[in-house]
Amino acid sequence: MKKECIAMLLAGGQGSRLYVLTGDMAKPAVPFGGKYRIIDFPLSNCTNSGIDTVGVLTQYRPLELNSYIGSGQPWDLDGSTGGVHILPPYQGSKGGTWYKGTANAIYQNIGFIDLYDPEYVVILSGDHIYKMDYSDMVARHKEANAACTISVMEVPWDEASRFGIMAVDGDDMITEFAEKPKEPKSNLASMGIYVFSWKALRKYLTEDEADPNSENDFGKNVIPAMLNNGERMAAYRFDGYWKDVGTLVSLWDANMDMLSPESGLDLSDESWPIYARSVNAPPTFLGRNAKVTHSAFNRGSDIQGTVENSVLSPNVVVGEGARVSYSVLLPGTVVEPGAVVEYAILGEGCRIGRDCHVGGTPESTAPEPWGLTVLAPGCAVESGKRVAPGIMLSRNGEEVSK
Amino acid sequence: MNGLHGIIFSYEKRNDLRELGEIRSAASIPFGGRYRAVDFALSNLVNAGVTDVGIVLHGRYQSMLDHLGTGKVWDLSRKRGGLRMLPPFNYQQNWGVLPFRGKIEALAGVRTYLDEIRQDYVALMDGDLVVNLPMADIFESHVKSGADVTVVCGNDSFATEDGTYFEMDREGRITEVLYRLHTPRGYRGLEVYILSKKLLCEIVDECSARDQFSWRKELQTRKNSLNLRSYIWSGFAAQIRSVQEYYDRSMQLLDPAIRAELFTPERPIRAKGADKPSTYVGSNGRCVNSLVADGCRIEGTVENSVLFPGVVVEEGAVVRNCVLFKEDIVRRNAQLSYIIADKDVEVLADRTLMGHATYPIVLAKGSIV
Repeated sequence: MKKECIAMLLAGGQGSRLYVLTGDMAKPAVPFGGKYRIIDFPLSNCTNSGIDTVGVLTQYRPLELNSYIGSGQPWDLDGSTGGVHILPPYQGSKGGTWYKGTANAIYQNIGFIDLYDPEYVVILSGDHIYKMDYSDMVARHKEANAACTISVMEVPWDEASRFGIMAVDGDDMITEFAEKPKEPKSNLASMGIYVFSWKALRKYLTEDEADPNSENDFGKNVIPAMLNNGERMAAYRFDGYWKDVGTLVSLWDANMDMLSPESGLDLSDESWPIYARSVNAPPTFLGRNAKVTHSAFNRGSDIQGTVENSVLSPNVVVGEGARVSYSVLLPGTVVEPGAVVEYAILGEGCRIGRDCHVGGTPESTAPEPWGLTVLAPGCAVESGKRVAPGIMLSRNGEEVSK
Repeated sequence: MNGLHGIIFSYEKRNDLRELGEIRSAASIPFGGRYRAVDFALSNLVNAGVTDVGIVLHGRYQSMLDHLGTGKVWDLSRKRGGLRMLPPFNYQQNWGVLPFRGKIEALAGVRTYLDEIRQDYVALMDGDLVVNLPMADIFESHVKSGADVTVVCGNDSFATEDGTYFEMDREGRITEVLYRLHTPRGYRGLEVYILSKKLLCEIVDECSARDQFSWRKELQTRKNSLNLRSYIWSGFAAQIRSVQEYYDRSMQLLDPAIRAELFTPERPIRAKGADKPSTYVGSNGRCVNSLVADGCRIEGTVENSVLFPGVVVEEGAVVRNCVLFKEDIVRRNAQLSYIIADKDVEVLADRTLMGHATYPIVLAKGSIV
């Protein structure tokens, strides 16, 4: 079945910079915004952009992600001529290997892509929160007659050295690419979203695979090789909300951004819905003494205490007299009466005992350094215990260092 | 097949539902912040392992068809069996003109469907019943007890519009079938019955021949010849038959004990999801003693209320003792109390509307106040 354009979603990331929070799941399966998983964003963008065929490359701890994606029905990706496909590494007749890098992951699935004989392939990453119309980007790619189009956004100059930076000419064609340059020549950062003409990409992937010195990575190897060979490389400028939520702080930030649509992250816009596989639970109940302000909650929760500047996932319990502020509570967490949770991310199914105090404000630790408090999924904190700011606890309640 | 088949009746038009019933049958009335009444009967059946369910339709069933879709939400979109929509295809009269004269006429209208039922037993349920029944237990006790018909009753004699009441002996055998009582007595029938497919077909054929279409009248006639047994359910069970009943039953959901009976985690009630983000309460928002669904935006005050998905309460607005359906908007400084607002209602800024606990005001779908 020929398709003009299909998407390949790199969802194999270990999420090592999310430390204990990922538990047994791959990073793209991490809950976000009280309702979503990170992967809902690229999947919904695909369906809203008219891309009905998506390959999801998985590798580490894929069980939760696989069962979450299921048939793809929540994203309307269960069509009979395309839909979402989970693509783990596999053994062929000549053996098989783990995905060695982002480019190798696509290389190992050339067979899958060839099934659809596409003109264009969109390469996406599974750890970004953003809303983007990929069909606009593909249009830019066609119009520029490019072999590769990279979406870029302007970042503050003083942060530019943390990104892959593109230098462009007057037509926004890429002239130079530098990974984390010390002296950036531009402030256009790559967002890790690419459109390739499949013929060109297929050739470069094959060459890259044959090079024993290559790390088989798009940013480090494939893109520079294409540039060196004088391929037409276009930049696609994006100015909406975009955040890489690969770290605990950025994940927390993005959740807080969701509370303020001024941040640019407006999830209530019905013209570009973000779909999710939703849990089946009754509406949330707010008790007589509940005080909820500048916060979001989802289904199945029971809130009796105070919740401020926080994001609550489904089936959360906040007991009488408890206070949750500037925190992100993942599904099924319980904060018992009288407990305080501040500036924390609590993993799925955590239980905070009565009168515990978890985390603290940035002011509270001055002049000592401060950090978010993070609890692994399933972690239980005994009543009355104090968990200081910046501490990370494993499932068994043991302190883990970053 | 030695299992249970479900038939849900969704045809009755109850005049006491006023504006709420004008555009829909009682079975598709929204309830509990994210459900339609029929979700309860469907979930009760599915949670008992029922795989085949027929929905008997008549009259204004557009809203019902929209809601049920293919039945996927209840895992009833199947190759064999699953959900079947049953408009009265075998009905002799000009259908759509006259309402059914009773359950038996409704069943006679789909008589050929009854022959196709693969299971030996059938559960009959009303679509306007809001309850979380352990249907698997009820079915088991039906088979064990050797009853011809098991009649599920609430453990009370609450007055419900056009209710049926049952009296029974110490062993639970039904001795009297009562209706049109001035003062209800006995046990309130929940209009949930289990019987064999064979007996059901026999009753439908026999009654059609005699032009007798009332199910309860037939039970009354046969109360001695058939072994009619009761199953008493002591949990929450609401029959949504009037605006007052709708309102009172909705407010009962603010009681945690009632919610625990209706939303038992072991028997989840499944409903169609709305693709909406989380609910947001603003910095000056205040929301207490309320049941709130997804996608709401609350900048004002909400007390003792039930909010369906996508409700907006703007800054300064006050909503007390209300039930607000999907996508309602309460503009700045508007004040509402004892109001049931149907879908897509907009109350403009500074308006004040007050009903009373004994006479909640209903705002019709799409109205702008």
